[in-house]
Amino acid sequence: MAKTAKSITSSSTAEYFAKNLQQVGFSSPLKAVLTTLKEAVDNSLDACEESGILPELKVVVRKIGAGASKTSDLVEIVVEDNGPGLDAEDLPKVFGEYLASSKFGRGQCTRGQQGIGISAATTWAQLTNASGVRVTSKTKGMRKAVQAVIDVDIKQNKGLMKAKETIDWDRPHGTRVEFRIDGRVQLNGDGGLLTYLEGTTLVNPHLTIEYTLLDAEPVRIERVSDTVPEIPSATLPHPHTMKLGEFITHAGLYGKVEFGKFLRSGFSRVTDETLKALVKNGMSKSLLPLPTNKLTEEQFKSAFQVISKTEMQSPSTRSVLTVGEESLAKSILRLGDVDFFSVVTRKPRICDFKPVVVEVALARFLNRGSEDESIQLLRFANRVPLQFDKSACAITAAVESVNWRSYGLAQSKDSLPSGPYVFAISIVSPFIKFKNASKETIDASDELVEEIRRALMQAGQKLSRHIRRENKEADLERKISHIEQFGPILVEGLVRIVGAKESRKLKAEEGLKKLLGRDTKEAQKDLSEAELRLNALKERQAKAGLLFSARRHEEVAIADEVEAEVEAEGEDGSDAENSSASRGTDKRGTAKLVEVKAGTAKDAGKGTAKSAEIATKGTGKVAGTEKRATDKTARK
Amino acid sequence: MEKVIRIRKLTKDIPKEVRILCDAMLEELEKGNRPVLEAIKCSLDNSFYNPKVGFLTPGDKRVRTELNVSSVQKMARVVFMLEILLANLQSGAVNTKRELYYISKGKVKKDPKLKALDFGDQDESDSIIDFVGDMLEVYREELNCFANDRGGQTYSQQLVVTETLPDGTKAVVDLSTLGTTPFQPKNKPQALALKAKKKIDFCLVVESEGTAGTLVANGMTKRHNCIVMGAQGVPSNGVRGWCKLIQEQIKVPMFFFGDLDAYTLQNIYRTLKAGSAASLIRNADFSAPEVHFLGVLPEDVKKWDLDCYKVNERDPAEARSLKKAKDTLANDPFFQDKKNRKLAEVLEWLIKNKLRCEQQAFFAVDPRDPLKTEKIILEKIQKGSYI
Repeated sequence: MAKTAKSITSSSTAEYFAKNLQQVGFSSPLKAVLTTLKEAVDNSLDACEESGILPELKVVVRKIGAGASKTSDLVEIVVEDNGPGLDAEDLPKVFGEYLASSKFGRGQCTRGQQGIGISAATTWAQLTNASGVRVTSKTKGMRKAVQAVIDVDIKQNKGLMKAKETIDWDRPHGTRVEFRIDGRVQLNGDGGLLTYLEGTTLVNPHLTIEYTLLDAEPVRIERVSDTVPEIPSATLPHPHTMKLGEFITHAGLYGKVEFGKFLRSGFSRVTDETLKALVKNGMSKSLLPLPTNKLTEEQFKSAFQVISKTEMQSPSTRSVLTVGEESLAKSILRLGDVDFFSVVTRKPRICDFKPVVVEVALARFLNRGSEDESIQLLRFANRVPLQFDKSACAITAAVESVNWRSYGLAQSKDSLPSGPYVFAISIVSPFIKFKNASKETIDASDELVEEIRRALMQAGQKLSRHIRRENKEADLERKISHIEQFGPILVEGLVRIVGAKESRKLKAEEGLKKLLGRDTKEAQKDLSEAELRLNALKERQAKAGLLFSARRHEEVAIADEVEAEVEAEGEDGSDAENSSASRGTDKRGTAKLVEVKAGTAKDAGKGTAKSAEIATKGTGKVAGTEKRATDKTARK
Repeated sequence: MEKVIRIRKLTKDIPKEVRILCDAMLEELEKGNRPVLEAIKCSLDNSFYNPKVGFLTPGDKRVRTELNVSSVQKMARVVFMLEILLANLQSGAVNTKRELYYISKGKVKKDPKLKALDFGDQDESDSIIDFVGDMLEVYREELNCFANDRGGQTYSQQLVVTETLPDGTKAVVDLSTLGTTPFQPKNKPQALALKAKKKIDFCLVVESEGTAGTLVANGMTKRHNCIVMGAQGVPSNGVRGWCKLIQEQIKVPMFFFGDLDAYTLQNIYRTLKAGSAASLIRNADFSAPEVHFLGVLPEDVKKWDLDCYKVNERDPAEARSLKKAKDTLANDPFFQDKKNRKLAEVLEWLIKNKLRCEQQAFFAVDPRDPLKTEKIILEKIQKGSYI
């Protein structure tokens, strides 16, 4: 035994992560490039937002040679921002020390939380290319920028600064990081760099980004919002979100303060009334005036048990941040030629005792995907794209649980719908429950999945207004062509079999025309009605100037529909499909529709120009739309 | 062209029926009314099973196709196919479904006006042919449309088959003279007359054609007065009609030997014994209601310690088969009938244990004895270990 005890050693955090980099997103050369880029961009965006700066990022990813290992290249990743910059003495901490974070446990909706990611990227660079990260940084107060190479001292979990020098830099402030790592570059697909950059652009409307990927020409995307999102300050923890150990540690911060006072001031949602309820539920009244630091573990435990079983008001939702429908609507136009789209921002809700806000943008593009392919699903957690392990994610589970057929999209059972759509779903919460340290998948709790599902259904209902109109149009076209094609053949076939005279043939043809003409008229009437409703809606929105923002009563109408639909599904799944479809048709006039239209984007310049361009395409592309809709109908 | 042998005594004059139907459709059109085509609904929810009848029969549900812009294509295609079939009936020509598909394509090529009717693939023309059969309530074979002969390879030292050919002459086939070659019934087994040279004790229908061949190669038909037949998976119309004929004319006990899984029970054994939901109007002549399920039974798995496979629920195909077994118990009137309670119990056993056992597992019981499987089969028949 003694021998075993002697052989036990302790390791530094850096040592642990250096051996387990796969846990934080460095499991393959492909993921290493994406994770490094992601960590650098996240840090830049967080730094800009915290200082109230509108972020302007430059990203370069290029191959500069062969990698040290057989299957990889030496890849350079450069991210430059206009953030506040860092003082020289902070550089080793930020880039070379694990768990050195200004955000750890603060309960805010920042991208980074623990202070692991960027240090892990430095470690990866060090392990694969024998050199850490080259950082150039300048704060407002500096005359010259400081440049250094930061390594991780793996044994000590400390950052080491090397080759430090001061240089001239034409920027007033900012940070530039240069990683040279072994990796492989994938641009498209779920784990692609382009997918990541597009996703980041979408949920950060205030971001201007210029990126150069491999040998391609630089791409610059301007911001569509001039407002830096204000990260809501953290609220006090809710007692129900804690475990006993955390509870005792939290109490330790309050020292001699009376236990009752500690409960009231150390937690949110604990009032005098709550204390009365706690006493009523079995907490000893004599415990409340005792100094917190005098309580025994047993007393903490018994108090904690009573707290756990006492009902309390749900935690506050003030600490969550939203992108907002208006910004999301403008931002989505930056991704390409949008045919039409709908966006939904839900009110913050409590899921699993944590405040959460779900935002959804569904868009059909003219130049992406096809009817046969699955939709492109973009998942976001605290405005960071999630690109791996899609199938285990709460967002994917929610998308698959919605019956998209009732909104006019093709979908196999329990699968993602198909079509040239991008579904962007963003979850923002100060306490997102990830499945792993690399933050690739959100844990699928029932409450969270249900909340996302409701948001998706709201967005789906908006989208379906467009699709229905298209289907009516295609239906009419199909009906007319069917009459022209099959009517005469049917009559001639019958006449041949029966051996009937020409007079009978003519009479039957007349009868057939009358019959099918009636059907056509009905289809025409359906289409006109759908068009009238759509136009009326557009006019109402244009008058109200609310093209991209929610009109409260319309939102409520749709939300009510979704609630009713969810309830109906709960009672009988099979009936829900029919009822939702018919309800959708009946209430078409009451729902809000977000339409890409000229002259409505408030911003001048490129944003407006792009909107106008899309509007032209939207109205001028009838033939294309008809074809797509006809194909879809034919397949059905 | 020679006259086709009739499958049953049909009182209907099909060409006449077709003309009456088309005349009625034309008349409706002349009046500006919508013609309606009606067919028996051939699906499980319109299937009934009465053990006294012995096979699945249709209920009252019917598929109605009324002329409108959505159905005009189907109606025009039905009339198009009726014309082709009518020409075959009049000339006596026979075709397979695939050939009819190509005939229709050939007609479209010759007459560009018919282009809109062109079938994209054979499934489309098949469904129209099936609809015509269901609508006229006649067998596909009575429309001179025959499927490819598959399965039914039969071995016996006692069985003699006499076939009446279309010209009236008779061909006599003594199966004992065929050596290692099996006798295979055509899709018109009704044209055959059977005779046993010596009393035949039983007929064994084996799911796997390969295993049937092994049993015969090892001398089963030499040692025992029996008929051994390979079903080759789901029994075709020919196999089902042939089994019915053996049952009716030789009157021997018939046993089915196949895998212990939901697919075998529902798709193979039930189809052999009671027909299928898709061919409700044909089951009377294409099912063998007296056939017993010899195994593999759950009791065999235990008794002989047979190797089983665990159903892998992550595998979509296997998970589907498990789900199908549950659906079968819930919806299939054959398994719901109390006379087939024991078969339903086998399905329940499969669902509960999530296992499947193949017929070839008997070869593992005594690998040194090549006749072990034959011995087990005989023991099971003698001891009544079947359902």
